[in-house]
Amino acid sequence: MALAVEINQLSKEFATPFRRKKILAVKGVSLSIAEGEIYGLIGPNGSGKSTTMKALLGLLAPSEGTCQIFGKDSVKVDSRNDVGYVPENPYFYKHLTGEETLRFYGKLCGLSGRKLKERISELLSLVSLEHARKQKVGTYSKGMLQRIGLAQALIHEPRLLILDEPTAGVDPVGSREIRDLILSLKEVGKTVFLCSHLLEQVQEICDRVGIIFNGVLKREGTLDELITMKERLELVATGSPDAQRKLLELAEEMEGIELVSSGAPKTSLESLFIQMSQEEK
Amino acid sequence: MIASVKRILVIASHTFTQLVRMKVFGFLAVFALILIGINFFELPTGNSPASAAEEELRMLKSSAMGAMSLFAIIFAIAATGLLLPRDVEDRTLYTILCKPVPRLDYLAGKYLGVLWTVLLALLLMDILLVIALQLRTAEILGERMAIAEHLKWTPEEVGAEKDAVLSQGATWSVQAGIFAIFLKSMVIAGVALLISTFSTSTLFTIIMGFLVYFIGHFAGEARDFWLSQQLETSVLAKYGSHLISVVFPDFRLYNVIDGAIAGNVISGSIMWQLVGISGIYAAVYLILSWFAFAKKEF
Ligand SMILES: Nc1ncnc2c1ncn2[C@@H]1O[C@H](COP(=O)(O)OP(=O)(O)O)[C@@H](O)[C@H]1O
Ligand SMILES: [Mg+2]
Repeated sequence: MALAVEINQLSKEFATPFRRKKILAVKGVSLSIAEGEIYGLIGPNGSGKSTTMKALLGLLAPSEGTCQIFGKDSVKVDSRNDVGYVPENPYFYKHLTGEETLRFYGKLCGLSGRKLKERISELLSLVSLEHARKQKVGTYSKGMLQRIGLAQALIHEPRLLILDEPTAGVDPVGSREIRDLILSLKEVGKTVFLCSHLLEQVQEICDRVGIIFNGVLKREGTLDELITMKERLELVATGSPDAQRKLLELAEEMEGIELVSSGAPKTSLESLFIQMSQEEK
Repeated sequence: MIASVKRILVIASHTFTQLVRMKVFGFLAVFALILIGINFFELPTGNSPASAAEEELRMLKSSAMGAMSLFAIIFAIAATGLLLPRDVEDRTLYTILCKPVPRLDYLAGKYLGVLWTVLLALLLMDILLVIALQLRTAEILGERMAIAEHLKWTPEEVGAEKDAVLSQGATWSVQAGIFAIFLKSMVIAGVALLISTFSTSTLFTIIMGFLVYFIGHFAGEARDFWLSQQLETSVLAKYGSHLISVVFPDFRLYNVIDGAIAGNVISGSIMWQLVGISGIYAAVYLILSWFAFAKKEF
């Protein structure tokens, strides 16, 4: 079976008009994504994440190396039959409504008639935008734009989705919705390639992660491989203060165990925020 | 192939919707006002009454077709120059080009959408003009016939007078002139398309578009003058001038528009020639744009 994504020794050089020095945005990146996987590319701003994705989509021509989608070279138009893309901070034609936007992209992909109509309704309900069906996209919020972007990317039922910073600028509740959407897409067998500089979210949903710095892919692996500290053990226990103290003493006395830290665990601000907003509803 | 045509039509019809929702048809009200204005205010002419009547029809045609020409050219340049950079700036282009859409289809669709809008706008203005011309011609004819009866003209004289007035009315040559306006804006829109594929700003595209248009008006004369100055035309000069005529289309070709305003008969063969030349220019600009656009990175 062909891999969903295969990037081989990709380098991308940008010539800057007024300076003699060229920018090497991506340097020899190789990565592959199997079908059905969620792959997260993480790295700080300007590290070459978007550039890698654009090369994969044929929006940029690689300076060196090759990119393939399901075995088809990205420079060719037919490689785009099986991929949907949501750019960073997506933005659509302001004068179209949500429904018209999906119709436009659907028609571009050769859909028409009843089939297209059904597909549009299906997708609007998938991304929970039925209420904004007749609303102009120019009035959409950031979270809504991301969701219509996702619907647009899915219109021709591609097997691979490429998402550039899918939750950038979206509030925690909205980004949780997007996260759930991505997970539900994985369940129906889609492959997802996303990038982000928000590490927590990548950690929550990705099967495999690549870490990129200054255009170089530094590390790659499954989440477990990357972040499990095998020589350490963390346990969370509840009990009276007295019982807790006893447990600590027990641990300290135990042979071969060194207590690194202890204390009451804290919830994350994000989960607190989400919990509160759910109570608000 | 069929899929390609379909895609081009999807992009073209979307471009049309986009332009319509930008309310570009608002100028039609302005155009109607111009026509009504000309009809109401009789323009003073120093000629004899007979030629004054024809002069009036000519004035009506020349101001209306002048306005149509001006609108079509401005619109062709501005709309083409606006649409492409806007898609790049808004990054809507990403979401289009990452679908299985060849870049040529995208360009052809945009171009066709602009042309379709220009054609429709010209058609609407054409209808208004024809109505105005018919009304005015009937009125003037009535006046002239009354005078003819009063002066007891011979039937031949009456017939000649009738023909003279009608030849200034809504003739097929006027329609041909208006079609020539469309062809002219098709060529200049092609120029704007080509410029917008490598320019980074809308303003630059629009200014360059107008520049090419004006140079195209004068380049022909300049070239003829220059070639006539050379004692023996060198091969280089000859090919050089041909090259210039590709970059700066010779807009003197469209002088038939002035002919139509003057009431001249425009022959079918001239129109076919014009269609052919304009079509070649449009195709060349589209292909050059494609070359520039195919290598473009976003
Ligand atoms: N079109 C371009 N022209 C010149 N430099 C660019 C261009 N696109 C990106 N770059 C540069 O390439 C580097 C990587 O950018 P990008 O891939 O957008 O980073 P990320 O998405 O990880 O934030 C940055 O230094 C950026 O300035
Ligand atoms: Mg980026």
